[in-house]
Amino acid sequence: MSWFTQLPEPTSLPVQNGIVPRGTMVEVFRQIYFVFLVLGTLVGIVVIGYMCYLAYQYRDAGRGDADGEGGEGGEDGEEVDRPTLGELPTGSGGGRKLFTSLALSAIIVISLIAWTYGTLLFVEGAPSQGEEDFEVDVTGYQFGWEFEYPNGHTTDGVLRVPQGERIDLTVTSRDVWHNFGIPRFKVKSDAIPGQTTESWFTASETGTFQAACYELCGAGHSAMNAEVIVMEPTAFEQWYANTSNTSANATGSGNATEAGANATNATTTGAPNGTTNATGGNSTGNALLGATTTRSA
Amino acid sequence: MTTDGQPMNDSTGDDEAKTTDDGSRRTDGRHTKADGGHATTDSEFATPSGAGTDTEDGHGLPPLGSVRRYLVTTNHKDVGVLYIVTALFFLIFGGVLALLMRLQLWTAGQGLLSAGAYNQAVSIHGLIMVFWFLSPFAFGFANYIVPLQIGAKDLAFPRLNALSYWLYAASGLLLGVSFFQGASFAGGWTMYAPLDLPMYTPEVGSTTAILALLLFVVSITVSSVNFLTTMHRMRAEGLTLRRLPLFTWTILLTVWMMLFAFAALLAALMILSSDRLLGTTYFSFTEGGSLLWAHLFWFFGHPEVYIVFFPALGVMAETFQTFTGRRLVGRKWFIASMVLVALQSFGVWMHHMFLTSINLQVKTLFMATTIGISLPFDLMVFSLIYTMIKGRIRFVTPFLFTFGALVLFIVGGITGVFLGAVVLDYEFRGTYWVVAHFHYVMVGGVTALIGGLYYWYPKITGKMYDEFLGKVHFAAYFVGFNLLYFPMFLAWETPRRVFDYPPGLTPWHQLATIGAFVLGASFLLMFYNLTASLFTGEEAGDNPWAYSTTAEWTVPSPPPLENFPGIPSYRSGSIDFLAEDERSAIGSGTAADGGELTDGGVATVSDQATDHAPGHERITDEGEGEDHASIWPLAIGVGAFVLLLGASGFQGASFPDGFAGTFYAGLTGIGALLTGGSLFGLTRERFTGPSGPFGESWPFDGIENVKTGVWIFLASDVVLFGAFIGSYVFIRVAQGWVGWEPVPHDPLPGLVNTYLLLTSSFSVVLAMVAAEKGSKRGVVASLGLTIALGIGFLLNKGIEWQELFHEGLLLSTNVRTSTFFLTTGLHALHVIAGLVIAIYMLTRATRGAYLEDERPIEYFGLYWHFVDIVWLFLFPLFYIL
Repeated sequence: MSWFTQLPEPTSLPVQNGIVPRGTMVEVFRQIYFVFLVLGTLVGIVVIGYMCYLAYQYRDAGRGDADGEGGEGGEDGEEVDRPTLGELPTGSGGGRKLFTSLALSAIIVISLIAWTYGTLLFVEGAPSQGEEDFEVDVTGYQFGWEFEYPNGHTTDGVLRVPQGERIDLTVTSRDVWHNFGIPRFKVKSDAIPGQTTESWFTASETGTFQAACYELCGAGHSAMNAEVIVMEPTAFEQWYANTSNTSANATGSGNATEAGANATNATTTGAPNGTTNATGGNSTGNALLGATTTRSA
Repeated sequence: MTTDGQPMNDSTGDDEAKTTDDGSRRTDGRHTKADGGHATTDSEFATPSGAGTDTEDGHGLPPLGSVRRYLVTTNHKDVGVLYIVTALFFLIFGGVLALLMRLQLWTAGQGLLSAGAYNQAVSIHGLIMVFWFLSPFAFGFANYIVPLQIGAKDLAFPRLNALSYWLYAASGLLLGVSFFQGASFAGGWTMYAPLDLPMYTPEVGSTTAILALLLFVVSITVSSVNFLTTMHRMRAEGLTLRRLPLFTWTILLTVWMMLFAFAALLAALMILSSDRLLGTTYFSFTEGGSLLWAHLFWFFGHPEVYIVFFPALGVMAETFQTFTGRRLVGRKWFIASMVLVALQSFGVWMHHMFLTSINLQVKTLFMATTIGISLPFDLMVFSLIYTMIKGRIRFVTPFLFTFGALVLFIVGGITGVFLGAVVLDYEFRGTYWVVAHFHYVMVGGVTALIGGLYYWYPKITGKMYDEFLGKVHFAAYFVGFNLLYFPMFLAWETPRRVFDYPPGLTPWHQLATIGAFVLGASFLLMFYNLTASLFTGEEAGDNPWAYSTTAEWTVPSPPPLENFPGIPSYRSGSIDFLAEDERSAIGSGTAADGGELTDGGVATVSDQATDHAPGHERITDEGEGEDHASIWPLAIGVGAFVLLLGASGFQGASFPDGFAGTFYAGLTGIGALLTGGSLFGLTRERFTGPSGPFGESWPFDGIENVKTGVWIFLASDVVLFGAFIGSYVFIRVAQGWVGWEPVPHDPLPGLVNTYLLLTSSFSVVLAMVAAEKGSKRGVVASLGLTIALGIGFLLNKGIEWQELFHEGLLLSTNVRTSTFFLTTGLHALHVIAGLVIAIYMLTRATRGAYLEDERPIEYFGLYWHFVDIVWLFLFPLFYIL
């Protein structure tokens, strides 16, 4: 269950200036999520706890009005003006405590959102000066992902990126609405035909991870995955220098699995009712899933 | 356009009622002479009067318990029961699909279902639960309870109410059939474009599912008009809007939201159906078709969230008050919050699209409105919680459910705040966090509605359910619910609508699957309990709940056909049932307060006299009370089912070759005949709906029911055309506004048509004037001129289109021609519908109708002027700019 335990790790928060979370998408998400989780749980427990306390305190213990098991509640019950059948509906006052509670919850909610808004501006902003960034175009199709590097090199089903560098993604789709996401790096972007969307991430560790489709796009949706290989910057440079303006299938070295995935995906392209293909693609998907979890375990 | 014709013929129904001697009819109609008039506030309401048995005969309504009754009934209580039972059937249907999904998710990867079948299960589960279960379930209660709570004898247009139900039933059946036509729709309940086009979902069943939804939306529109008219016009004296019971308040706001939100969905579905059937290219338009769908869908989709949740909120408010024995804390703020939410719900839709290409400014705006809309809910939650203070809380089944619902809603609300933070939303998008969140909110709402079912079960059936089994149901339900949905938060990294997930998440998914079965099984208990109690349950009595306040508990269980033993009035501050003569006294006595003031400031009684004059050519001799039976709503439902089933075979503007094509074409023909014939039958039928005077009618005091209905319908039509025009503008902007050439090269035919329509609007006014003057010839001539001008409009348009077609400009040619033909085509359909009504009116006018009562002409005029005004927008947009 490493996926869960990895979340609340406040000790590993990176040093930063100010209270607005910055850093990689993973760090940003981790911090904000942690604060929300703690506050949300707290508020939930307080409110639901209070509800249950009231429900117990004012329960109708017996039949009579003065039956005292409810203590206070029972006694008050006698003075309380109870609603009667057929009356015109009215309220029972209490506006002030209502607005106090509303104000409290409003402060919590608005401050939380305002706090994350600073991060949103940061996330949406351009790379800071001096920061290296590497642009990749991502195109979704039924059912796979194609990546195009700045030098025109395209790969299918495998995205190679250098570790520690900001990767800017420009995402679109060739057919229907998809959504490209790499859960490990907390990046996600809609892939809409005729539109481009932008997002970025920084991979802090090397290894092989999985990208997936997050918008229902047809029969092969469940298996519409891609591999994200994060390489040492130097190794990446080397690999990248060897690529040319060609398709990944031609470059070959160590891309056996990739080619397999491509073969499956290729048959699906342009065939809208790819039910049969999807089952084929699925086994690949499982294999990839397996690979990812072994990696993270 | 079934709705178009409706208001007219209900008006004729009203006319007939009014033909007879007013006074005698009313005394006969209300069975209150004997026991009426006792103004009481305690158990004496419960007058086990002969009203029930008395009204069962006559009116052609078969007795309770016979199946035939439910085929013809137009009574709001029967229709309510039909809605509840049908909705529960769809709960089972959608629930079984959900169980199939949960079984598939027991382990990662392919299992029980194929990928295509899994996607169908996901999609249809969503569609059924959101459309065919949740709203109709709530509207079963609304049908049954709202007229009782506001003191009305029935809805304003009883046959339209039955029609809404039968269209709903037909649409549900159509959805079921879609599974047997290749495959049902598999593109998710959000039906994102272009996956919803035949290119990607080519099965006939997909088309059928979309047409089924279209029919459902028509049913909702009919229902909205009916409820709004009823709730605004037909409240008991003293029951001002501010005094409405909370359940009725929530329904009122729900229906207003429905009226506008569903009009947007109607537009989206009409365009989608046209894309699928006729080959227009809206959603396959590369530069923005996808986004256009998302905007249209979510413009409807977010209000929809409140549409399904508000009735649940109403049930919570009612049951919290009853079972705590306290009036709601901060009632007016509670209502104000709901009004605020209802308004604001139309301004938050883009938070469903944070990851699309919308820019940062728009995101910020919608983040702010989203947070803004969450705060009123905080207030409502606190209001419910504080209501418990000093209460005498009884944990019976209904309260357990609504109490549980509030707990679930709080969890759903808190997890929703996570999604409101855009940075977190980026990560949660498309994951099980969203799934868990909205199930906590929506199924939380269902929990409250189940509470409502137990709450009103004794009222509806007259029997008490088994309390112990009810409590066991709640325990199993609550445990099952949390076991099902809470693990989804823990396993949130699972992508939505995917049956493959990291193996590490397996335990959570298995827990959820177990929870799903516990939840499902708990409903078996409920079904057993409620069915068995029907036969063996104790007599519930009029009011089984202490501290209940609303009017439905003042009448017998089940209430008699015409609900009340007299005319309900809150003049004294609590409900009294007045006899007819007392009512008349009030009428003249309280005219000054605006209750029944009409145009000239004439007090009620004399107003009635003028109201009841017209309609001479079909005098009825049985003018006693309202009718409660009509076969035509069912017939129209059957017709619509056959028609749309036939139409589903239509693709790319033609039927397929061979047997299937003939089959579908035949069905379409038969369906069209059936629908048209039954519509005609409905129009010709003598039917007496509830008529005034009513107590409170703000803000439509001077406007009678039918006119109110027409206005409300036109309001939704404005949104429909607005969505069409908005789509056109959106596409044109995406394409480049300036480079866009209007499809017709020559604006002249359009200009001629503008003048034709304007003139025809004028001639309708002339017809009205003639009717007022009592000139039969004038009416006939003016109506004839209107029709001639309308036909001229259509001919001119036909010639224009024919030329364009000859040039090779078809609907499917490109997005320019698609928008042109579809938008002006929709307008032409409105003209045709108007002409059908006008021709019907002309035939009646030749026999002397409308001379005494020109109102039907006025209603038609409203519609016709509206169609005219729409053209004044379309002409410049599509011919000149």
